[in-house]
Amino acid sequence: MHGDLAKKQKIYRLKRRIRTPILTIVIFGIAILYFSPILYMFLTSFKTEYQAVSPKLFFKPTLVTLGNVLSDKNMFGYLRNSLFQVFFTTFFCLLLAIPASFALAFGKFRKKTTNEKIYVWFITTILLPPVAVIIPLYTWFQRFNLIQSPFGLLIAYIGFHVPIVVWMLHSFFSDVPLSIIEAAQIDGCSRFRQMTSIAIPLIRTGIVSAGLLVAVFVWNEFFLGFNLTGNSTATLPVYMARFREQQGMFVAQLSASSTIAVLPAVIFGWMTQKSLVKGLTLGAVKG
Amino acid sequence: MKKEKDWLFVLPAILVVAVMTQVPFVLTLIYSTLRWNLARPDLPIKFIGFGNYLHFLRIPDFPKLPEFYTILWQTIVMTGSTLIICAVVGFLFSILLDHDVPGINIARVLILGPFFVMTTASGVIWKTTVFNTTFGWYGVIAKALGFTPVDLLSYHPMAVIIFLFSWQWTPFFVLIILAGLQGLSGDVIDSMKIDGANWFQSTFKIKLPMIFHHVMVALMLGLIFIVKEIGLILVTTAGGPGTRSYNLPYAVYMEIFNGSNVGRAGALAAMTVVITLLGVNLLYKMAKKRKEKY
Repeated sequence: MHGDLAKKQKIYRLKRRIRTPILTIVIFGIAILYFSPILYMFLTSFKTEYQAVSPKLFFKPTLVTLGNVLSDKNMFGYLRNSLFQVFFTTFFCLLLAIPASFALAFGKFRKKTTNEKIYVWFITTILLPPVAVIIPLYTWFQRFNLIQSPFGLLIAYIGFHVPIVVWMLHSFFSDVPLSIIEAAQIDGCSRFRQMTSIAIPLIRTGIVSAGLLVAVFVWNEFFLGFNLTGNSTATLPVYMARFREQQGMFVAQLSASSTIAVLPAVIFGWMTQKSLVKGLTLGAVKG
Repeated sequence: MKKEKDWLFVLPAILVVAVMTQVPFVLTLIYSTLRWNLARPDLPIKFIGFGNYLHFLRIPDFPKLPEFYTILWQTIVMTGSTLIICAVVGFLFSILLDHDVPGINIARVLILGPFFVMTTASGVIWKTTVFNTTFGWYGVIAKALGFTPVDLLSYHPMAVIIFLFSWQWTPFFVLIILAGLQGLSGDVIDSMKIDGANWFQSTFKIKLPMIFHHVMVALMLGLIFIVKEIGLILVTTAGGPGTRSYNLPYAVYMEIFNGSNVGRAGALAAMTVVITLLGVNLLYKMAKKRKEKY
């Protein structure tokens, strides 16, 4: 009997020892294959146009194409427009959504259910697809010539992303114990001070990741950007869409441009993923 | 005194969101009842009730369905199959990524990557470096194997779009489902092992029901986000050939920017919203029913 057990244990250990390397290979095989189009795009951006014609994995890398794309005046314009939208949308979204979600978590309104109601209202606006609003926005923008001004798109972006920030921040603010806020209130802190000196420092990481998430969303946003901008105000996703007409002639240029367009979002996205899950799942469980 | 102060915290956000989302939506509903064509300024804007809706919904010669129904069906197929593929593949990926092998975080990062790539960039990248019959990997590999590569984008536009949607959105499902798996308590895993559950039982009979709520959340959010998507369609197939890979949002876009028909675009947009909300509601009810059962 005893020998049997020892044998079983031995087999179990052996199984584990074989299993881990095989699993590692399978997991990495799938992961690399899954990511390969982006990986290949990164690689191709280091090719010359001539090298890029044949899909090869091994070649002599060069920075010529990337340099050309980066020094291109057009590309610079789109990049600048994108950075403008990302920076100011994130800034104003946080400016509006932090006090709003703070008050929804701790504020006292005439009725007790008001907090819940406003919160649900914010969530329902997330459900609204942009096609539902694009027609009036487009006609307004045409009439007031906002198409040629970056501020038009900026306002639209702020309106569309504030609910997402409220949603995410609400789940972070709810983690702050009510007793801390009440203690501050008894000590004579105004609502504003309670928010700025107590609640905000406690959920700093949540705010940073909500901000990063909005930045990634705005950086990648296509529908509104495409319909509400003109030549001088278009953002990077709109620029990328212009490559759709070309068939294989500028693969290196295309890859270099997309690398510049994709890299920041992927990096920032990876940075926010943990809080993204927390914000999304917690918010959804309650909503 | 204090009550009014609390309102001041929320009011600016409500105002901005209302002006940019609710007001335009109400206007869309109003527009949808008007005969209003930007390309025909000679025709006065006129109230025509449900005329625009009837334009799409009416079935003049019965067995032959008008274009709207085809596009509606395409939208349902496109979104539905994407969601199913994302949920199944996402669950399997999450099970894989839940193992504690060396470097697992790098593998997770690689799988999550596509979610953060802008759709227009991933669309053109797939189109030129993979699906292109001359320069792309698909063409090169097919030729090396002795096949003649057909242009997938024109022959199987729906399949290509569903594939690309799934590629882009599976990471999002992994993100949420993996969080669910890692949130399972160690007790469950331990007792599962002691009771001698095999892989199949532990994965589908124990883990899947326990994280089912996460799958539903991913499906609901996925539905909301995927229905919005037109960038990928625009850069890969441009809705073609003909209208074979249109979805409803793309049809709205074409109706206003190519047809300049504000009224009809409004009606289409309103119907898109209603259908999306019906879908979300259906999923929500399913999730709730399950929750009551357990």
